[in-house]
Formats: sequence, C-alpha cells, structure tokens
Amino acid sequence: MKTIIYIEDSRANRILVDRVLESEGYRILQAPDGETGIRLAMSESADLILVDLGLPDIDGQTVVTLLQRMPNLQNKPIVALTAWPADTAFQLAERYGLAGCILKPIEVKRFPLQIAAYLKETTTSKKSI
Amino acid sequence: MDLIRANRFTLEQLTEAYNETRNDYIVPMPMNVARFREYIYLYDIDLSASWVATRGDIIYGLGMLGIRSGRAWISRVGVLPWGRRQGIGRSIINKLLDSAGENSLDTIYLEVIAGNEPASQLFLTSGFQRTRELIVARRPPHSNHNLMELEEKPQIRELNRDQTLSLLEQRTGRPNWLNETDTFRKLSDLRGFSVQLPGGSQGWICYEVTFLQVTRTIVEVLEGDPVKVTRAALCALHERHPAQDAVLENLPGADPNWIGFSDIGYFEVFRRTEMVKVNS
Repeated sequence: MKTIIYIEDSRANRILVDRVLESEGYRILQAPDGETGIRLAMSESADLILVDLGLPDIDGQTVVTLLQRMPNLQNKPIVALTAWPADTAFQLAERYGLAGCILKPIEVKRFPLQIAAYLKETTTSKKSI
Repeated sequence: MDLIRANRFTLEQLTEAYNETRNDYIVPMPMNVARFREYIYLYDIDLSASWVATRGDIIYGLGMLGIRSGRAWISRVGVLPWGRRQGIGRSIINKLLDSAGENSLDTIYLEVIAGNEPASQLFLTSGFQRTRELIVARRPPHSNHNLMELEEKPQIRELNRDQTLSLLEQRTGRPNWLNETDTFRKLSDLRGFSVQLPGGSQGWICYEVTFLQVTRTIVEVLEGDPVKVTRAALCALHERHPAQDAVLENLPGADPNWIGFSDIGYFEVFRRTEMVKVNS
C-alpha cells in the first residue's frame, strides 16, 4: 500500500482528499500545518507528499525546501496542492523543484489518476499532470 | 450587524475568523495564533482601534488598524464568504477610518493584492488613491547556481544593530509600512553589512535570518550602479545563508535594485497595490 503525507490546514480539504484517495487504496497521513508535516515526513516512510503552499505556521514553499533535504525523501515526489492562480502555482512548483502541481479545487475523478501518474514519475521529471 | 472592538476577542477567535475570510482568497495567507501575535507586534496593530463585524455570536468580518507616529495602516480586512455583498466590508472600512480620525491620524495606508478588483473598488470609493505597486518575490535555496562570478570583488564590512537602524532611518525613498524602520526596531536578530566595490559603487544590506528563511531584506545603494551593488550584496548574503529560503516583500515595482535581485535568482510571485488616503 502506498503512503501519502498530506500537509493541509483546511480540514474540509483534508477530509475530501482522504476519502478520494483511501477509496483508491492509498494510506493517507494528514498534517494540519508545516511543522506537523515535517515531523511526519521524518518519522514515516512516504511514497509521495502533497503540500498546500499556504500553511498557517511555515509557508508551504519553505516546508518544501526542508523536505527536499531529507535523505528518506530523495526521489520521492513532492507535489503542491494549491489554490494559487494557475500561472503562479506552476511557476512556484518549477522554481522550487517540485514534481508538479495540482490546482484546487481537485477534480474528484481525475485526482487519483494525477496521483498515480506522479507516483510513476521520478522527482527529476517536473511536469504538471 | 454590530461592530465590536477587536480587543474584546481572543487572539484564537481573531485568527480563526481571519483564516475563514481568506479561505477562497486570491493569495492564500493563513496564519496560526503565533504568527498573528507576531504580526500585531511587528506592525503596531492596535486591537482597540481594530474592528470585528458580528451578528449574534457569529463573526462576519474583521479589519485591523496599525498605528504609528502620525499615520495609520489598514490591514487584514476580510469578510467571511456568507457575509459578502451585504455592505459589511464597507462598514468595517468606515469604522477603521473613524478610528484613525479619533487618533488624529490623517494619512492612512493600505495594500491590496493586485488584481483583486472588488477590494480595490471598495477602497477607491472610500477615498483611497493608488500610489505604487509592490513586488513580493522569492528565491529558493537551491538557486545557488545564480550566484555569479562578480566583475568586481566587493569589500564587506559588518554593521552592528545601531549602525543598521541608523542607516534604515536615512533611507531616501519612503518605505512601505512593512519595511518601515519601526518594524526593524522590533526584530531580535537584525543583521547588516556594507558593500563597497572597487569602482566606487557602494551600499548596504540588512535582513533577518531564521533557521529556515532569509526575510525582510533591504538593499540601499548609496553611490554608483544599483544593480552591481545589489548583486554584490545579495551574493554575499546568500553565500552566508545558502540553505535558507528567501522571501522579499513589498519592494517598489519601479525600484532599480530589482534587476539585481532577479539576477541572483529572485522571481516575482505576486504584486500588491499600495493605496493612501490623506485627510486634510
């Protein structure tokens, strides 16, 4: 079973993503803020990390820079899940070396396909799916 | 609808309400209580002059007022999604302007995210005028490849806190509220150094550094080529702090130093429009 860490402050978004992905057989670990997400990423073996770029304690981009330094996350895709305008979101994803970016609100039918595609990609392949 | 002074609410209530107003905002900027407390402290938010719109026990919106010598700053104005299009935002603005008047503050600043037309119209029809655009930019730490070989090796001289604050006071342009010297006085770890290039160009830089970020960067060019001085100062800064993510807030869009920032790997994320209302 693939494990996904989802760092997101909105409870409603966490519930939605949890329901959509758990029904597809993923194990979802939720973090409501950046610090919790970083702790989870250090203690758990994740196959993919989803990060909201607007977090209440540490902003999402900075969280990403810390996650990218963790040895256990090398070659694991880190994907932004964000409400930023599309142009800005894709620019941030590219500049920060993310595997890609998914815009909110998620499309429930398409979302599991996007996640599956990122899990097949390597972190060196930066594209939006 | 009642308007109640914000100091009647807990920071937890204000933070939660603020985050609710920003749920669907053009630029997501949630805060936790610690960040909200720091925001109030750094930017001189006066909660007794700030207002919360309520109906019964439900918060519908809020707005904060910062107060510094002779001037005010409106910030964090927002209405929760279920309270919009009912005139609540305008009522909050009017109350904040009343508070500024009661404190004999004739000059009131604010910023709005560029492109947020409903908010811009609200402020323009409340008597505000656009002054300038401000750049919010970032630089990821792995942008080290952008640290170029400088044409002229700079001479660097460390500045102590008093020297840095003195230089901040002597800036020629008007800084935005976030970057006023009053903000920097409150930083516990304010750092700075001067830069002198062999060709005669010179300036200084100050900033705050944390475990994760370099923030509040100001580059002031005293003489010579602004781009060369900015590049030299930023190269030295990021060589010192290669692992930190960098955030640059509210650099005026017309600032000639911006080219130096972008040469070193900074990129624009969004812009704010600064506005002012001056009561005669």
